Amino acid sequence: MATMPKRIAIVEDDPDQRSNYIDAIVAKGYEVDAYASRQSALDGFLAHMPDLAVLDIILGDEVDAGFELCRDLIARNPNLPVIFLTERINEIDKISGLRLGAWDYLPKPISLDYLAERISSLLRINEVRTSTTEKSASAKQVGNLILDQEALLVSWRGQRIDLSGTEFRMLAKLVRAPGHAVSYETLMNATMQSLVTNNTINTHMRNIRKKFEKVDPDFSCVKSEYGFGYRWSP
Amino acid sequence: MRVLSRIRGLRLGTKLMLLGVPLTLLFVPWVSYLLPNKMAQLSVQMQSNQQRLIAERIAISFNRHDDLFADLPVGASGYEALLARPIQSRTPARLDGWPSDWDVQALQPNEFGPKDGDGSFALSLGTRGTTLYAYLEIVDDARVYRDPELLRLDNADQARIEFIQPDDEDGRIAIALSASGDTIAYRMDEDWRFAEAPESSVQGFVREIATGYAVELSLPFSLLGSRRSFGLSFVDVDDPDARAVRAITQTLPKSEAKESFNLVAFRDPDLLKDLERLRYSDMHLRIIDAQQRIRAETGSYRTVSRAHSAPSWQTSALGYLTTVGNWFAAIRDTTRRWLTGQPRTDRETAEAAQQRIEREVMASALSGEPVALRRHVGGVETILAGHPIISQGTVIGMIAVERNIKDILSFQREIIGQIALVSLSSFLVVLLCLLAFAGRLTWRISSLRREAAAAIDHYGRLRTDTLSSGMAAADEIGDLGRSISNMLARLDQHHTFLRRMPRTLRHEINNPLNTLTTSLERLAQESDGGRDSKYLESAKRGVLRIGTIVQSLADAANLEESLATEELEVVDIEALIDSYISNCRATHQGTRFVFHGTGAPVYGKIADYRIEQMLDKLIDNAVDFHRPGSPITVRLDAHRDGLRIIVANRGPMLPAEADGSLFESMVSRRVPGKKPHFGLGLYVVRVIAEQHGGSVQALNLVDGSGVAVIVRLPLASAETAPAAG
Repeated sequence: MATMPKRIAIVEDDPDQRSNYIDAIVAKGYEVDAYASRQSALDGFLAHMPDLAVLDIILGDEVDAGFELCRDLIARNPNLPVIFLTERINEIDKISGLRLGAWDYLPKPISLDYLAERISSLLRINEVRTSTTEKSASAKQVGNLILDQEALLVSWRGQRIDLSGTEFRMLAKLVRAPGHAVSYETLMNATMQSLVTNNTINTHMRNIRKKFEKVDPDFSCVKSEYGFGYRWSP
Repeated sequence: MRVLSRIRGLRLGTKLMLLGVPLTLLFVPWVSYLLPNKMAQLSVQMQSNQQRLIAERIAISFNRHDDLFADLPVGASGYEALLARPIQSRTPARLDGWPSDWDVQALQPNEFGPKDGDGSFALSLGTRGTTLYAYLEIVDDARVYRDPELLRLDNADQARIEFIQPDDEDGRIAIALSASGDTIAYRMDEDWRFAEAPESSVQGFVREIATGYAVELSLPFSLLGSRRSFGLSFVDVDDPDARAVRAITQTLPKSEAKESFNLVAFRDPDLLKDLERLRYSDMHLRIIDAQQRIRAETGSYRTVSRAHSAPSWQTSALGYLTTVGNWFAAIRDTTRRWLTGQPRTDRETAEAAQQRIEREVMASALSGEPVALRRHVGGVETILAGHPIISQGTVIGMIAVERNIKDILSFQREIIGQIALVSLSSFLVVLLCLLAFAGRLTWRISSLRREAAAAIDHYGRLRTDTLSSGMAAADEIGDLGRSISNMLARLDQHHTFLRRMPRTLRHEINNPLNTLTTSLERLAQESDGGRDSKYLESAKRGVLRIGTIVQSLADAANLEESLATEELEVVDIEALIDSYISNCRATHQGTRFVFHGTGAPVYGKIADYRIEQMLDKLIDNAVDFHRPGSPITVRLDAHRDGLRIIVANRGPMLPAEADGSLFESMVSRRVPGKKPHFGLGLYVVRVIAEQHGGSVQALNLVDGSGVAVIVRLPLASAETAPAAG
């Protein structure tokens, strides 16, 4: 069954970077719509709704243009996967707070390989989520936790928890060996990003805890292993 | 800081100046003391002149009265004049041999003959009306009374009076002495042998005393004629059988001429009459002859002040001010003495001063020079003026006029009091105003200084960009405050710019970096490996390194901001460090870690992974600097006022010059090596400790074997800490 190539929207104000992204993504066989500003992107989305959007957060003078575009897109298609290109750690908190569906982020400077990998991964996940039934075969249960690697879905005590791609991968590393400490280094590798510090890991872990505590105030399975990393203790 | 030091200098100067200015106002009470004082001096001077004029007028009325003192041979030399003083008693003196009814002033005996020798006598003379009184005390070893069988009178103890009768004939009267009782007087022949007739006008009384006789006599002035002179002698007979005259003690020497009998001078009733005519109220007038004998006197000065009494508050204020004035005068005199180098003269008694002034006035007036001087007499201040009486070009006497000036002086004191009170109270008001003004200025300046000093913290960071106190004031201090505030605002702008620079830089660098990495990746894909891959890899590493540097700088710059939003929770720090050190042992193979905990939970309100981050930096540091093989010691102490985390390692000591700057950012004591270091480690430690309300300190170990970093943090309050166990 011949499928139409997926349409990827890229919003990036810097022409050089934009051109590099286009080249890399086109090389992977996707169709690309590239925009330089929020307004041109909005106009373009009216004409062609993309299957996935890669958004730079700062566009020209507009500091939060990426977030605003994301809101518009999600309003029109709640399941649209979005990837943000960020510059600051504190933006991670902001992205986490958006409670979007399938989304992720890449801190600059990014790796084009990672970008392509993320795009294909998110597209696949989105497909899995929309097509499969409640419980996929790839789902793994650890105590009260159910992890669906394929659909990137998490549920705790039967309730779904929205985690970003990075958060999901870190949690997956933790629960792979429950009760055993996982080092910062392992967790850094799980983010699949180049510039990661302990602080970045801590920020993610705090966001993961918050999301669990939202559905279960007594949640305390993510334990700090001071000086080493984290531990999942059921 | 230069501005602050200027403010400090100004503050001292202002205080001194503002305190000094009111002190110069002390000049005002001083002037108000001086002014009435000078006025009083002037009125005393005028009073002196007036008194001199009165004395002059009286003196002129006596001028050319050649016979004024004619009854006395003025100017005769070689004789001793006897002075008869008025007896002031109300009743006539009784002739009883006792001088008890004489007043003390009249009883001033002149002594004749060898002192206390046989035959010597002491004579006092007094007058009352037209009668002359004499009181004699005669020393006689053997009293020999008159033998009534004998006619001759010169063979017994007797007193003799010689004088010149109004008819210019010599008068001789002998007074026979007997055992106590009335005396009998006789007019005698030329040889003092036989009595011519009894003389009834001379009366007397004899009383035997242990040393001899006490005799009181009276005789009328009319007996003595106009010259009013007489001589008195005592004839001593000691052998009751031989009855020969042993000695004659005389008031005048035998060799003297006939008319130079011993003289009696007394207050002249005629002069008194003249004076009575000239009587002035409140004045004491005296006529004094050239021999300084008072010939007449009348009137008296008041001894009680006429001035109505001032209110009591004024009196007491006056007393105080007089004291202050005297004090000033004493200071002035001392200073003058000190300046002129005069020795301090002993203060003469009031009595001595009074007599000295009297002598001075007399001496001056009798030498022809009118004079007026002030003196104190028995608690009263007076002016004593003297003017000479001149006859035929010579001074024959003087007029002394004395008057009480207490009224003038109390008037002066009253004025001094009033002026000084007004000036003193205005002085106090001005002083208080100035002090209040000075205090306010000082307070404003020091509060400005405090605020300006508090605007910048220990590390030179601005805490605020404006000052709040006294900004509305329109004066120079307001200007100063505003300019400091403006300065702070500009500094804050610059500071903010500097603080934001790493972030701005990262944003600006990240985009080209991203272009670089993505382009490098594209290049690698296009060239498909080959020879270029080596350069591509090194380019990628370079890019990564730049990214790391920029990230670290931005993280450090953001640290304080992100810490401020951190949520703190109560955590057992003992367990945290214990767990952390166990993990360290695993991650730092080959390094020994020793942890001395408290053995009990120590709760602190912290952000746990920030404390972890802090420990990361401390342990990194310790590991980097420790001597291989030596352990790294971590200790946790809990006290009532907080907890201490001490990380110590053996190794090189802290450089002395880095003491205060170790915890600043971009300060590193590492030698440049492979691993990038920006000197942010201890800076991060400090910021985290301070954000938790604590502090950090680095010390060399006492034995010099290494370094310890001490972090102090507060304990969680009792109610927030979970129950132990």
